[in-house]
Amino acid sequence: MKIKKLVQDFENKIKDIDFKYLKEYKQKENKKIFAHFPVYAPHEIFHSFDVLLLGLNGAGNEIEILYADARFGSFICSIVKSTMELGLSNRLDFIDGFFFTGICDAARNLCFVYKRNFPDKNVIFLHLPQNPETEHAIKFLESEFKRLIKNLEEMTGKRFSEDKLRESIKIHNENRKLQRKLYEIRRNEPDKLSTYELYTLLRIGNFIPVEEHNKILKEVIDYIPQREPVERDRIKVVIEGSFCEQPPFELLKLLDDVGCHILDDDFILGRRFILEDVNEDNPIYSLAEAYVKKTRYASVKHSGKKYKSKYFIENVKKLKPEAVIFMYAKFCEPGLFDYVLFKKELEKEGIPYLFLEFEEKMWNFDRIQLEIETFFESLIFV
Amino acid sequence: MDKKKKYQGRMHGLQRELMERWYRKLHEIYEQDRKEAVYIMISGNPVELIRAFDMEPVYPEINALQLAIRKQALPALLKAEEMGYSTDNCNYVKADVGMFFMNSPTSLGTRIPKPALILCNFVGCNTYIKWFEHLAEYTGSPLYMLDIPFMRHEEPTQDDINYVVNQLKEIIEILENITGRKFDIDKLREIVRKAKIMEELWAKVKDLAKAKPAPFDAYFDSTTMMGPLYVYRGTDDGIRFFEEAIKEFEEKIEKGIGTVPEEKFRVVVEGPPPYPYFRVMRDLLAKWGAVAVQSTYSTVGGIWEFGFRHDENDPLKAIALHMITANLPNRNYLQRYEQIRRYIKEWHADALIIHGVKSCRLFSCGQGDMREFFIQEIGVPTLYIESDLEDPRYFSPAQMQNRIDAFFEALEHKKAISKV
Amino acid sequence: MYFAGVDVGSGRTKMVVCDEKGNIIAKVMKKTHANFQKLVNEILEQALSQNGIKREDIKYIVSTGLGRYSVPYRDFQVTELTAGGFAAKNLFPDTKCVLDIGAQSTRAYKVDERGIVRHFKVNDKCAAGSGSFIVKAAKYLEIKLEDVGRLSLYSQDPVPISSICAVLAESEIINHITEGKKIEDIIRGIHDSLADRAIALLKSVGIEEEITFIGGVAVQDGMVASLQEKLGKKINVPDEPEYTVAYGAALLAKRRFSKLVGAVS
Repeated sequence: MKIKKLVQDFENKIKDIDFKYLKEYKQKENKKIFAHFPVYAPHEIFHSFDVLLLGLNGAGNEIEILYADARFGSFICSIVKSTMELGLSNRLDFIDGFFFTGICDAARNLCFVYKRNFPDKNVIFLHLPQNPETEHAIKFLESEFKRLIKNLEEMTGKRFSEDKLRESIKIHNENRKLQRKLYEIRRNEPDKLSTYELYTLLRIGNFIPVEEHNKILKEVIDYIPQREPVERDRIKVVIEGSFCEQPPFELLKLLDDVGCHILDDDFILGRRFILEDVNEDNPIYSLAEAYVKKTRYASVKHSGKKYKSKYFIENVKKLKPEAVIFMYAKFCEPGLFDYVLFKKELEKEGIPYLFLEFEEKMWNFDRIQLEIETFFESLIFV
Repeated sequence: MDKKKKYQGRMHGLQRELMERWYRKLHEIYEQDRKEAVYIMISGNPVELIRAFDMEPVYPEINALQLAIRKQALPALLKAEEMGYSTDNCNYVKADVGMFFMNSPTSLGTRIPKPALILCNFVGCNTYIKWFEHLAEYTGSPLYMLDIPFMRHEEPTQDDINYVVNQLKEIIEILENITGRKFDIDKLREIVRKAKIMEELWAKVKDLAKAKPAPFDAYFDSTTMMGPLYVYRGTDDGIRFFEEAIKEFEEKIEKGIGTVPEEKFRVVVEGPPPYPYFRVMRDLLAKWGAVAVQSTYSTVGGIWEFGFRHDENDPLKAIALHMITANLPNRNYLQRYEQIRRYIKEWHADALIIHGVKSCRLFSCGQGDMREFFIQEIGVPTLYIESDLEDPRYFSPAQMQNRIDAFFEALEHKKAISKV
Repeated sequence: MYFAGVDVGSGRTKMVVCDEKGNIIAKVMKKTHANFQKLVNEILEQALSQNGIKREDIKYIVSTGLGRYSVPYRDFQVTELTAGGFAAKNLFPDTKCVLDIGAQSTRAYKVDERGIVRHFKVNDKCAAGSGSFIVKAAKYLEIKLEDVGRLSLYSQDPVPISSICAVLAESEIINHITEGKKIEDIIRGIHDSLADRAIALLKSVGIEEEITFIGGVAVQDGMVASLQEKLGKKINVPDEPEYTVAYGAALLAKRRFSKLVGAVS
């Protein structure tokens, strides 16, 4: 098995802003395709209707922004603009519906600008609860999921089936388990799996049916013990901040090249948001419960009575990195706010950290490389 | 002529008096260290519930904007940036946090009491969540995240309402514990009834701006009236304030007095004001005889001009409905387009001015699309200008004047031609 | 036992060889050109030819600068900030801030008590803020580059260069020449404008004394005078500041080597 080749193919697929692969898939399988904006979406529900859910993480650095700048103005993050541009440049015409949640003010407004600009599309917005302390939040989210189910019933002409949803939960639990396994491998054997590879293997899951993704992940996990290790000295770090807009692939490769051994990160967080298996009984309720009670801390979700910064520092202390690298998308309001509280905890613990800002559309990495290397050297040459 | 007094009427004096009294009351709570302050946000605020426990609301936004309007914001912003807050983040939050850590008094020299409860009324503005999470960590006070379902469709669902009412009941329990007093629904009913009267009066005020010339500026003067609207809603003082305001405005209408010597352009304004240059901005528009007859900013705390009122018969449901349906931040972007469209039509406006605020994405993200909608689909002359609500570094008076002058010059030209 | 540092900069490539005590034994500077391999091999050869150094006596080589990854014989590479900060601290132990103006970029950074870089800002976007601008100006003024720094000191009445963009500033300089302004006054004007930018960059990391000024442009006395005048304080300038970064790399090579040997024995 050639993991390198596999990953390169996946990268090409992910970067294709004309979505050739998905268009062919749609034609061949005759299936509906929904696209969702980060961070979280209830994949299981879409899956139970046999609808493919595309995790749309912006358009990277491949797209030229022609129309979207004028719609959104100067102080808005790249991903909001590139997502709009994909729509305005007709590249998403083959998508049957769009799914948004209120992760931040910019993303929420984007949803309704989408509604206006694409009146023929099925655009649905779910309010994901922000009060995890009350039981009523789970009940409320259950009602939101039921609203989504009704929408999908109307769009597909199919009846909702609890059994099918149970089956979908099972497959997605398996998916999350395999993803956790890959993270464990990188944590323990960075010589055998790079961050770029891990990331690409996960992110391709945003483009293909989950069954196929599970198969790939299983094969990779089985093969990894046979891989030739790429031994070298690395600095153990935890990365925080890239939960929505994604850093370009070049930047991920750079992290490997400069010698980051990443113990944990929050890239494409939506795929790993739910930390434990979702209960298969009472499936709609269980999905709602999982979102309210079983997710990782995140800048886009209120953490309840226990401060988010406490969750953050506990995770860091558990993993014992040499440093933390904050990697936030420019203009990312939720992330940049949390940064202040998070770094305060690191300062209390005496853990070094580096603050970086990126944009998905960036091309030149000299500067960011200089920053990371200078930071690492300040750790090595002490 | 003393230019400073040009725009000020009896209403302004009364407002100052009421706001100062409120600040003094907060100062008293601070001095006596009483557990009576509840921090809440302006947008869709549930002040009635707080008053029902004889507690006093503290609105961090008002502290921040007072600082900006008195041109004292920059040191606080720099303090926050020094702590790691990004230049691109909400400057209200930064000013408030900066003030907190500088331990500086309010712009009136008074002190703000520590919160007995931080009640985050999350109505659309995600930054509210951050703001209160940060205040909770810094003060150590308890935080309740009152999660309000966003208006993603035209009418709220029964599930939306139940969710909010159930949370309100949890808050009542918390307030009972803090105050040691039982919740009295009849007391809440009475406060809600007074709120309804005041809302009726406020809606009437807004309606008076339909007169030509408009007796007050619905952007700048409405901002002034927003203080009592949120701080004194549900009280007799609040009712009296708006009765006085109506009296003053009706007199002006009778005498045909507007806010500028000659009302030439009636505009609707979208977006928060540039507080550090509040006065400068008003002069720039007044110079052209441009008067705001409606504004979206005046509806962040509540939209009452289209008929919504608190109902004392079911006070908790009324509070829930207000928070879900009847305030700008919790309504979706297209509902805002519709709100502005009605303003232009029903208040007979000639133009729309969109003030893009750098650090407020709730307001500004998508305003380019909004501009296109009003120019292309509605055919209203629309001016887009950009600065900030708190940070003086993002306002360039010369540039602002150029944009405004060019816009009204063109509009004047167009008017002249259409008359011929 | 010797240690070498090689600084592959955008304008020039420098190598410094030092002994166990940190004394400089050899130094070489060449113009950087596209054939990096040839360049870095030549520079090593020339260094070896000085004072009869043998290749096997050089125990550890650290590369730095823009082309740090293009040095095949390096043992390790560091950024020019790490190297510059370490050297500045070594040469001037009270250094808190370092200003490094090279051909293509200007860097301002703070170092801690060990010479470790703590906070930094780099300006590499604007051509009017670095050494290449002076090179161009010297060409227009038809003077030798090595005379620029000295000539500037004779200025009685500096001509202000107001444009912040290199392209506009160049035509401004040409205008001054045709107007018959004195060469030394124009040069001082250029130094003043560069100093303004450098100080703005320093301020953004926080100015703290002492400040050490290194890099190719630090050779120019007029530039040093302009910075000191505008800062209102004296700044440290090493002898031959264009070699400082390479020297820092050599010192780090020495340090790393002794750590490795120490770890083995």
